[in-house]
Amino acid sequence: MRTLRFAGFRLLGMASTLLVISFLTYAVFYVLPADPARLSCGRPCTPERLAEASAFMGYDKPWLQQYLDFLGGIFTGRHFGAGQAAVDCAAPCFGYSFRLNEPVTQLIGERAPVTFSIAVGAAVLWLLLGVSSGVAAAVKRGTLLDRSAMVFSTIGVSSPAYLVGLLGILLFGFTLDMVPVGGYVPLTESPVDWLWHLVLPWCVLALINAALYARLTRGQMIEVLGEDYIRTARAKGLRERRVIGRHGLRNVLIPVVTVFGLDLGLLLGGAIITERVFSMQGLGALLIEAVGTVDLPVIVGMTLFAAFLVIVANFAVDLVYGVLDPRVSR
Amino acid sequence: MIRRTAAVALTALLTLAACGANSADDKKESEGSAKGGKLTILTAQTDINFDPAKSQNLAITTLGLVLRRLTTWDVQPGKPAQVVPDLATDTGTSSDGGKTWTYTLKDGLSYADGSPITSKDIKYGVERSFAPELSGGLGYHKGLLAGGDKYKGPYTGGELSSIETPDDKTIVFHLDAAYGDWPWIVSMPAFTPVPKAKDDPKTYTQKPVASGPYEIETYQQGSAVTLKRNPKWDAKTDTVRTAGPDQIVFQLGQDTTVAAQRLIADAGDDRNAFGAGFVPPAQLVQVQSNPSAKQRLVTSDAGALAYLALNTQRGPLKDVKVRQAVEYAVDKKAFQVASGGATGGDIATTLITPGIAGRQDYDLYPAGPSGDVAKAKQLLAEAGRTSLDLTLLSENDSDSLAKAQAIQQGLQRAGIKVTIKPAEESTVTDTITGDKGDYDLTVSSWQPDFPSANGNIQPLFQSSEIGGGGYNISRYSQPEVDKLIEQALAETDATKAQALWAQADKRILTDAPVVPLIYTKNSFLHGSGVQNFFVAAFPAYPNYLKVSLKQ
Repeated sequence: MRTLRFAGFRLLGMASTLLVISFLTYAVFYVLPADPARLSCGRPCTPERLAEASAFMGYDKPWLQQYLDFLGGIFTGRHFGAGQAAVDCAAPCFGYSFRLNEPVTQLIGERAPVTFSIAVGAAVLWLLLGVSSGVAAAVKRGTLLDRSAMVFSTIGVSSPAYLVGLLGILLFGFTLDMVPVGGYVPLTESPVDWLWHLVLPWCVLALINAALYARLTRGQMIEVLGEDYIRTARAKGLRERRVIGRHGLRNVLIPVVTVFGLDLGLLLGGAIITERVFSMQGLGALLIEAVGTVDLPVIVGMTLFAAFLVIVANFAVDLVYGVLDPRVSR
Repeated sequence: MIRRTAAVALTALLTLAACGANSADDKKESEGSAKGGKLTILTAQTDINFDPAKSQNLAITTLGLVLRRLTTWDVQPGKPAQVVPDLATDTGTSSDGGKTWTYTLKDGLSYADGSPITSKDIKYGVERSFAPELSGGLGYHKGLLAGGDKYKGPYTGGELSSIETPDDKTIVFHLDAAYGDWPWIVSMPAFTPVPKAKDDPKTYTQKPVASGPYEIETYQQGSAVTLKRNPKWDAKTDTVRTAGPDQIVFQLGQDTTVAAQRLIADAGDDRNAFGAGFVPPAQLVQVQSNPSAKQRLVTSDAGALAYLALNTQRGPLKDVKVRQAVEYAVDKKAFQVASGGATGGDIATTLITPGIAGRQDYDLYPAGPSGDVAKAKQLLAEAGRTSLDLTLLSENDSDSLAKAQAIQQGLQRAGIKVTIKPAEESTVTDTITGDKGDYDLTVSSWQPDFPSANGNIQPLFQSSEIGGGGYNISRYSQPEVDKLIEQALAETDATKAQALWAQADKRILTDAPVVPLIYTKNSFLHGSGVQNFFVAAFPAYPNYLKVSLKQ
């Protein structure tokens, strides 16, 4: 019963957060001086044609009405224009992109697999790489291994993704000709090509992000290793591997998981720079283009979707806490 | 006349020698173009809209491969672009003093599915471009066709009575007023035949009915579009499309830097590829030290006009003497350097750009490329001004700001203080084309939508184009010029019209509403397997219709 009520409150909280975000996004774009209808007006754009385009897209209504229409569309779907040329946006309709001639829901569905492929693969890689090198550095504290791991992580943390990506493409794509220089192949089309195109973006993202996790893990591990219960475990005669793996790592992972959840949630909403460098048309590329062309429906839809992912990631982190630290769920 | 032809030939030779543009070895092949192969086009665009009503495509790029129009453009290096018949037998016969235009379709024209192309399909194609649901394309015809201002498209508004199709081969257009450049207007995407039975406005952007040499094989949203041959296209009916490659693949959403690197590397399939976007400045430098890539870099002849607009309705700029002072004070050389030097463009002095038929070269304010500060100061003194404070509205990216600073420093020399106001691109566009006109100066560039001097002059200088989305951004209003423009618009004799436009060009600049800065050049890269790849002055983009692959 208590769990149910907890979950209920949680869901309500998530929904209202999303509502506030959608409202703010709408409000921000309403005060911008650019007119989204002008984008679809054509050339030459006479005031009459602009008014017609604006009426068709619903931009002529007061903005609060536009916002309510948007909310309504999520449940009932929407309909623009008249006759054979009318445009349908089935529920759940998160807006319609007149630039790309597709409902935003469908666009997100088409682009999400690209970003998810990049994000999940890279996240697994950087988590393994970061945590293991962090643990190793902590255990072998002060040795050459520790120092070099930390030097590498400093380089990683301070490297811009765009630069590392381009250098990676130059070296592994052009000079060594080991991997493709960009593009995305769907998993369903060819799993081998899918993997082949993703190896480099994964490595680039992992290299940059693992650095942070290595530093975090190392610091945390050093602190934990100084705790009384570790001394007790060692005194009991447990093997070092078990002391580190079971008693140490478990406590180290709590802050790591918190950061990881947020990072992954953010990345799933669009790996903007990585997608750009590797010419992959994921959610990040979609958002950047929408901002550049004042494609309001896509911007609002994408913002909501990204926020949703972060919120879900947070929720998942809370659940994992319970597993890692039984005190939390009590 | 002879002198002009000679001058054009000389220019072409110089261009060839100077920058390896439109490389010489392509010339040998230019007649018989090889057939076969798969051509790849790398583009930063993430979608291609094949709906002719919604498209702003140039006649010689993507849409031209799939869709034919009544007329089209014959674009060749070193020659002014020409309007030539495409589906029609000629570029149009006018009657009623230029208010009525009649076209007859060629024999033996059919779509990819084998059904015949009729004049009714062209009428329907034009009609659907009026639907607000399908807005976004080039709509010059909407303001010219009689009754066009009230018409809302065939889905809700029935037929447009000013377009008549007495039989399946003939189409007649009735205009509100005489319009001499109508043959150019019917080369625009909206004048593509659309069979009514096959029109699904929701999917037409990806599944148009092909009339050109290619049809769409696959359309993968955001990643690639593949074209295959249209077996029903008959080369005998088509004078401009060579249809070399068997297959054409557009790789969408390509990072321009990476695309340029791929073309420089020239490996594998990329040998049969070219980039649709300009080569970024960093790669332009890189290409200079790479002999193989340098051969494959094609720089256009000087094309679109970059200019400084002076808001003629603001404070001191209302005074023509002050504006003329600005003409002398600007440092065009510095602006050219900020635009990438000689590969960025040539110094400009006229409004009608090179590559446009009828252009006359002249320089009303002979000051040399770096300006004449003394003359500027003298004019300011005559106007009774010792100092001047102006704002310059500029886009906020680093390239635009560098150009704005070049203007600022040039004017500073004559005691004109310029404050740069940076803003987002869409904000700048809305401000300069809006009704308020809250700026003194702005830097802009203009490539007309169709290669007639009309396109250089009318949209930028007719008083009806001030505000309300129009591009008369110097807010220039001169009854004498308006009259000249109206006269030139109505003239159906091309030579006479060209003379009128050239006259308007000079007349406008005596009032100094703008300072012509440079005629910009665009650079493109192609792989070693690509031939017949050239970029003319107008439009300064590759001619997709003539590209073929070495076999």
